[in-house]
Amino acid sequence: MCAIVLQDVNKYYYLQHQKTLKEVLQAFILQKKTIDSIHAVKNLSFSIKRGEVVGIIGKNGAGKSTLLKLIAGVSKPSSGTVQLNGRLAPLIELGAGFHPELSGRENIYLNGIILGLTEQEVTERFDDIVAFAEIRDFIDMPVKNYSSGMYVRLAFSVAVATQPEILLVDEVLSVGDLSFQKKCMQRMESFRKNGTTIVLVSHDLGTVESFCERTIIIDHGLKVFDGNAREGVSLFRERFL
Amino acid sequence: MKLLELYRYRELIKHLVLREIKGRYKQSFIGFFWILLNPLFQMLIMSFVFSFVIRTGQLSVPFPIFVFVGLLPWTLFSNSLSSGVNILVDNASLIRKIYFPREILLIATLIAKLVDFAIASMIFIAMMLYYQIPFTWYMLLFVPILLVQTVFTFGLALVLSALNLLYRDVQYMFQLILSLWFYLTPIVYSVDFFPEQYRWIFQINPMSVFINAYRQVLLGGDVFNIPAILLGGGIALVMFFISYGLFKKMEGIVADVV
Repeated sequence: MCAIVLQDVNKYYYLQHQKTLKEVLQAFILQKKTIDSIHAVKNLSFSIKRGEVVGIIGKNGAGKSTLLKLIAGVSKPSSGTVQLNGRLAPLIELGAGFHPELSGRENIYLNGIILGLTEQEVTERFDDIVAFAEIRDFIDMPVKNYSSGMYVRLAFSVAVATQPEILLVDEVLSVGDLSFQKKCMQRMESFRKNGTTIVLVSHDLGTVESFCERTIIIDHGLKVFDGNAREGVSLFRERFL
Repeated sequence: MKLLELYRYRELIKHLVLREIKGRYKQSFIGFFWILLNPLFQMLIMSFVFSFVIRTGQLSVPFPIFVFVGLLPWTLFSNSLSSGVNILVDNASLIRKIYFPREILLIATLIAKLVDFAIASMIFIAMMLYYQIPFTWYMLLFVPILLVQTVFTFGLALVLSALNLLYRDVQYMFQLILSLWFYLTPIVYSVDFFPEQYRWIFQINPMSVFINAYRQVLLGGDVFNIPAILLGGGIALVMFFISYGLFKKMEGIVADVV
């Protein structure tokens, strides 16, 4: 059973050079090109089995983040299909949706429900979330008064508390202090043991090599390698660095 | 039907509404009283100033309550759209992160403004008691009018928020339109003050139709025009479905352009 299946996925971005009406009118009069398209993801097909841990690597602008957005369903493919089986939690832009004026408690509910939990489920997991984030004394304080470390810890705790079957991770493991980073890695490790499918986008080749079993290399929107993580990372070091 | 699917997201809608209502006045001393003070003072100033400009003697009800019955639904309309037009831009980080039907953001903000409206209506009730205007069952006819206004506002907000994603001019242009629209809507005056040849302006302005209808059912006067509100409701509903279709078409690229 596959957790994620991508079939012949293409994604074009239409870049609008003109953001205001004035610029549009100017461009129209001067007969400038108003829309450019970028082929960000090209004919991508792969499937990820349940419980697999896959690292996606590539240079800046290769299409990694676009790929994550396609998998997360926030961006629709221009052609092809993306299929997902299981509850998904994105560890992308941690803390998006937090309201700075609301307390940690209120934000836990809001964010948990945004990530697909019910109110009941948030209540059940509330204590675990607070304990993991280590913010018990600050739980009724507005999150705008949190340190950036506390903020990210809380966001991470809520996201992992959803007990996702598929976890999308985008460069977020480099947050917080060292001891929290270690805790995050431990939590990811336990996710892996419990058979959660994990897709990790990272520039940290060391993490990919040690944590993932499989690597996909993306270059200019094309899949150029798909296989063993160790081989992938050394290939990437040779060809792209 | 996609609209029915929204029922699944009722808890999300509830918490987004709470986020907006709780977040807004959190760091203010008198908090929720701002919801009351804003329309109250607008009404007081308007009725003071315009009572010297307008032949208010022709009205069958005291001028302050006449103004307030127009001001209240107008404030609801204007606040709903001002926040609706920016809703996708304001929630960009959320939109880039996780999928949920985007119109939920709009629904939540519209509900939050309806809550404000309900709270501000307490002033209306106080004024009714002060002026000793009797409450009647007939007044409950304001509910269908409010419903049509809400559908109309929702439809307009769907289109504006989607267009604003592409061109930020929309939000500025709409602020201008709103302030002009205010003057062309009979809030501080009555349509009856105008000569026959200009009255078509108020017949094609939906907000004017709504406000006249509110005044008819709440303050008496002409008999409530049921065919007019049915027709208005029909038009609002058709507009809404067209807007909704347009919005849903845009949805796939929202995360790409926001």
